[in-house]
Amino acid sequence: MISRVAENAFWLARYLERVEGMSRMLYVNINFVLDVNLEGVPRWYPLVLAVGAEKEFRARTKEADRDDAETVQQFLCWDQDQPASIASALDNARDNARTIRETISLEMWESLNGLSLWFNGPEGRKRYQRERFEFYQYLRDQCALFQGFALDTMLQSEAYHFMRLGTSLERAGHTARMLDVKYHALGPTGRSIEWPREIAQWQAILRSCCAIEPYFKVAQGDLSGPRVAEFLLFEKEFPHSVTRSLDQANKFLKLVRPRGSSADRSAKALADLRSQLDAISMEEVMQRGLHKTLSWIVDSVAGICSAVQEEYFLAPTQVRRHRTEPKRKLSRTA
Amino acid sequence: MVKKTGAKPDRDKSERIFSSYKPLASTYDEYFSEAGKVRSQASTVVQHLENLGRDEIRDRMRLAHASFLEGGITFSVYSDARGGERVFPFDPLPRVIDPVEWRRIEQGMKQRVEALNSFLGDIYSRQKILKDKKIPSEIVLGSPVYRREVQGIRPRNGNYIYVAGIDLIRDQQGVYRVLEDNVRVPSGVSYVLENRIVMKKTFPRLFDRHNVVPVEEYPNRLRRAVTSAMPGRGTNLVVLTPGVFNSAYFEHSFLARRMGCDLVEGRDLTVIKKRVYAKTTRGLQPVDSIYRRIDDDFIDPLAFRKDSTLGVPGLFEAYAKGNVVLANGIGNGVADDKAIYPFVPDIIRYYLGEEPIIEQVPTYICERKADRQYTTENIDKLVVKAVNEAGGYGMLVGPKATKQERAEFVKKVNANPRNYIAQPLVELSASPTWTPRGPAPRRLDLRPFVLRGKDTWVLPGGLTRVALVRGSYVVNSSQGGGSKDTWVLESKKS
Repeated sequence: MISRVAENAFWLARYLERVEGMSRMLYVNINFVLDVNLEGVPRWYPLVLAVGAEKEFRARTKEADRDDAETVQQFLCWDQDQPASIASALDNARDNARTIRETISLEMWESLNGLSLWFNGPEGRKRYQRERFEFYQYLRDQCALFQGFALDTMLQSEAYHFMRLGTSLERAGHTARMLDVKYHALGPTGRSIEWPREIAQWQAILRSCCAIEPYFKVAQGDLSGPRVAEFLLFEKEFPHSVTRSLDQANKFLKLVRPRGSSADRSAKALADLRSQLDAISMEEVMQRGLHKTLSWIVDSVAGICSAVQEEYFLAPTQVRRHRTEPKRKLSRTA
Repeated sequence: MVKKTGAKPDRDKSERIFSSYKPLASTYDEYFSEAGKVRSQASTVVQHLENLGRDEIRDRMRLAHASFLEGGITFSVYSDARGGERVFPFDPLPRVIDPVEWRRIEQGMKQRVEALNSFLGDIYSRQKILKDKKIPSEIVLGSPVYRREVQGIRPRNGNYIYVAGIDLIRDQQGVYRVLEDNVRVPSGVSYVLENRIVMKKTFPRLFDRHNVVPVEEYPNRLRRAVTSAMPGRGTNLVVLTPGVFNSAYFEHSFLARRMGCDLVEGRDLTVIKKRVYAKTTRGLQPVDSIYRRIDDDFIDPLAFRKDSTLGVPGLFEAYAKGNVVLANGIGNGVADDKAIYPFVPDIIRYYLGEEPIIEQVPTYICERKADRQYTTENIDKLVVKAVNEAGGYGMLVGPKATKQERAEFVKKVNANPRNYIAQPLVELSASPTWTPRGPAPRRLDLRPFVLRGKDTWVLPGGLTRVALVRGSYVVNSSQGGGSKDTWVLESKKS
C-alpha cells in the first residue's frame, strides 16, 4: 500500500488509542479521588507527569493550581495546543482518518467524525460540565465502537494491520505510563508492607487499565504493588498488559513485513524488548526499580515506533522485485 | 402543555405549501407552467410534499443536513482562513427531467464531447481546422491554456477527454443551452451520488411513486473508461489529488473509494526511466492509469510550473512516451477556453458533419474589435466572464452590478481583451426551492457528466446547482449555491 497511507493508518490508531486511554485515566481518577481522602498527597498532578506533558503544563499554570482537579482536566482534555490532550489526539485522529477515508470503512469514518462533531460541539461541552463521568464514558464507548467497526467492516489487509500495529504499540506504552503514576504520586515502590493509600492507588491504576476484575481472577486475593505491576507487565492473557501488547505488535509487524524485506530494524528492536522482558523476573524488576524499568519500556517502545516510521513510511526508492525472484539485498537510501 | 401527538393540527393541512408560490416573471419554471398549474412531471412530487406538510419537511431537512455533516460530505472554502469544511447546501425539492427531454440532452452531450475530443486531436497534430480557416488560429494558439509541450504527442487511443462536465441552462422558453464546457478536471459528481443517497434516506416514499433512473454506477463506469486505454493492466489505477486541503478532497476520496483504487498525492508517486511508480510499504509499484485532479500547471514541475510542489517530476515525459494514461489529457483547456466556446457549433459541423443538437448562448469575443466595442458600450446588459476562470470568480453580471464595478470591468477588458467574453444575461430557469418561508423560485443550472472510454456514456441527470440567494444568477458553491437531486424518469413501462 501507499507508504503515506500506511503512516496515516498507523497514526490514526495511535491517536485513537490515546483518546481512549486518557478518557479512562481521567474517569478513574475522579473515582479514586472520591474514594480516598489523601491529605497532602498529589492526586491530579501525577497524571500530567505520567503522560509526559509536564513542561507544557507548568508553562500554563500557577504553582498553586497544579494539583487542582479542574485545571488538570481542562489541560488534559481540552488544550488544543498541547499534544497529550484528548482534544488534540481526537483532532489528529480525525485528520488522519479524513486523509485516508478511501482506506477505512464508511462506518469507521462516520463513527469517528460523529465523535469529533460531538466533542467539539455544544453537546460535548455540556456533558463535560454537567456529567463528567458520562462524558469520559461516552468517549471510551465511541472509541470502542470505532474498533468494533474496524474489526467487522474494514478489509483485514495491510492498512488494518498497520492500524493494529499502531494500537498495540501505543497501548504498551500507555500501560507502562499508567503503572508509573504511582511513582509520581507516592514515590518508589518497595517490597515492605504498603500503606492503605498505596493499595488504593494500585487499585486505581488497575481500573484505568480496565484490569480490576481480570486482576482479581488471576491474583486470587493478593493485592500488592509488585503483584499489580507483574500483572500489568507480564500477564499473557490480559489485553492491556505490556507483553501482550508487544506480542500483538509483533504479530501485526510480521504481517506487514514483506518476504525477504530489508526492514528488520523495527522487528529486531521489538524482538529485543520482548526477549529482555521474558528474561527478567519480577524480583529483578523490583531490584532494579520499577520506575526505572517502566521508563526503559516507554523509551524502547518509542524507539520501535521510529524504526517503523523509517522503514515503512519514508519514501522507498527501489522498484519492487517480483516475488519469485531470488532474494536480493535491497539498499535503502531513504 | 400537551405534547403534540401523531395527528397534525388542521391549520397545517389547510395552508397548502405551494398555494402562495409564484413563478418568476419571464422565466421558465421547472415545476409550474403558471401559478397554480403544475407541469406533469412535477405533479407527484408536489402532491407528496403537500401531504407531508411544512413541519415534516423541515424535520427531514434537518435530518438531511445532519447526514451530510456526519458523513463529512463537505467542501473547503478557500476564502475561509481556517480552511473550514462546509456542507454543500442541499435542497430537498428534486429537479425532474422528462425521459424524452433527457434523450435529446444525452445525444447532444455525446455529440459535443466527441467533437471536442476530435478538435484536441487535430489542434495538437495537423491543425487542419486552422488551415481550413474555420477558427482564427490566433485565438487557438494564443490561448494561455494551449500547451505547446503536447504538440505532436498522441495520447493512447487518441483519447484526451475521459470525463467532461457540460454546464447547461434553460432560457425563458425552457430551451436547454450549453453555457460552458469543462473538459479539464470537472468536479461535483460525488454530490450527485450523495444527494441521491440522502434523498432516499429522507424522502423514501417519493421514490415509491416514480421510476427514477439510478446514478450509482458512475464510479464503475469511470474506472472502466480510464483504464480502457491500458488493456490488461487496469488494476494499477490511482486517483491523484492535490491533497486534503483541496476544496474537492471529499470527492477525490469518494471516487477512489468507489473505484476501489489508491488515492495518492504527488509525493506518493515517482518516475524512473519514464515509468510511473507508487511509493508503497513494499517498495515501488508501477502505475498505469491516473485519474488526476491536479491542473496541468501543477502536474509536473519539470514540464510546467517549476514552483509546483503538488506534482510529480517527470510525469509529463512518461505520459508523452505513452507509458501512463492521464485522464484527462494534458492541454485539454484549449477545448473549453471560453473564447473557443463560440466556435463549438462550427467544430461540431467540421468534425462530425452534423448540426449541433443542443444550442448555446450568443457570445461576444472581446479580442475582436467590434465585439469589444459592443461589450464595453452595453456592459449594463451583459455578463462578462474571464475566459479561464471557474467557480464564478472573475465575472461581472452587468445588470446587477454598480456603476463603479462596470467601469472597473471595462478597464479590465480593454487592458486584456483576449481574457474576456460577454454574453447577454440569460434568464436561467428557476425551480421551487425550500426557504425558511416555504418554497420560492430560485435559478438553477445542470451539469451532466460524460464519460468517454471505449464508448461514451452520460450519467443520467447530473448535478443541478441552485442559486440560493434571492434574485441571484450565480449557482457556484463558492458563491452561495446549493444543489438538488436530479431525476431522470424512466420511460413509461408498457
